[in-house]
Amino acid sequence: MKPVRKLLGLLSAALLLITLVPSAIAEVGPTIPKPIKGKQCVAETSDMRRNHMDYLKKHRVEALRQGVRTKQYSLKECLECHVPAKGEETTAESGQFCKNCHVYVGVKLDCFECHATQPEPLDDKSAQGHPVATPAMNAMGRIHQPYSALVMNSPATQQREAK
Amino acid sequence: MSESNQTDLSRRQFVGKGAAVAATVTIAPGVLLYGAAEARNLDQPASSDVRWGMLIDTNKCESGCNDCVSACQTEQGWGGENSNEKLSAPEQKVQWIRKVDLKDTTTGHTQSLPIMCQHCESAPCVDVCPTTASMRRDDGIVLVDRHLCIGCRFCMMACPYKARSFVHEALEDQKPHMPRGKGTVEACTLCVHKLDAGEGVTACSVACTKGAIVVGDINDENSDIAQQLKRHKTSQIRADLGLNTGVRYRGI
Repeated sequence: MKPVRKLLGLLSAALLLITLVPSAIAEVGPTIPKPIKGKQCVAETSDMRRNHMDYLKKHRVEALRQGVRTKQYSLKECLECHVPAKGEETTAESGQFCKNCHVYVGVKLDCFECHATQPEPLDDKSAQGHPVATPAMNAMGRIHQPYSALVMNSPATQQREAK
Repeated sequence: MSESNQTDLSRRQFVGKGAAVAATVTIAPGVLLYGAAEARNLDQPASSDVRWGMLIDTNKCESGCNDCVSACQTEQGWGGENSNEKLSAPEQKVQWIRKVDLKDTTTGHTQSLPIMCQHCESAPCVDVCPTTASMRRDDGIVLVDRHLCIGCRFCMMACPYKARSFVHEALEDQKPHMPRGKGTVEACTLCVHKLDAGEGVTACSVACTKGAIVVGDINDENSDIAQQLKRHKTSQIRADLGLNTGVRYRGI
């Protein structure tokens, strides 16, 4: 009867693991504050978790050196959703979206030695809500597209669809 | 990164392009309606068909007036009262644009003019940069890519206009459109964030109540700046260096 006892032992150990592990993970992981605005990030959350650094770097080169001013992977736009604007209500956690995770994984983050840590408050009420359009863009009639449209029309999506 | 097409402002090309884009409509005899310059699509890179430039009329510029300088400070967030920059020594303080008074010692004639980055076609700062941080965009705007800047300050030494500054202090509360930080070099960006947004103006040109500063595409024959450059005698500071500056002056 030994194998049966062994099996029972294994089963109960597995059961114990299943019940214990989720709560353990919840306590160990970084605290990620909820976004201030918006429900869906500019790409799938799993994609953003893995690849955001590459997207940001590509965007920074194109935006600064070539003047390609798309908004999808702009760091400034990240802050619009993940950090409360100046003068808006803050909690201890809000605004720590980038930092909490980077501290957890031990990655030094120096974007914010130069980049603004908070979005500017909106002065144009008509542009309120997300995505944000600057007064200048409103004047030009070039209101920022909703993210769904941006993602649908992005070159990456088009390439994927072409395949 | 794609190979950059340098803007070449040779007269032959200038004239050729002008003829190609001159789309005018005659409304009535003697009245012409010029088509507004087509704004660049934001997902397209800056093109060498455009060359952003600035024309400063020193006859309109008044001595003692600092409106352009303070507008630049407010817009870009340098030299603020509450900024750590006040800890820097006076000769090391950041200065993107400054007013200069000239006096002819023989005649006593005085003039006042603002000086900032001249956005040269053959920019010495770009030539000397060891990391390609100092760069010239295809539409003629000279910028510092501070992701790559190591703070060596060669560009500051190379610039004949003393237009660049080094940030000596740790900064915070920067403008979202203008990241700035300790250990990097910076200068006038020709309000690239405004030009890219299609505003067609800079903070200084808006602030100048005398209308002494005009900004525009000098390759676009129909633009105000190109018309004025064609009509009036203008000059470059240190034209002898042959840098073909994007900033031109009238009356000096």
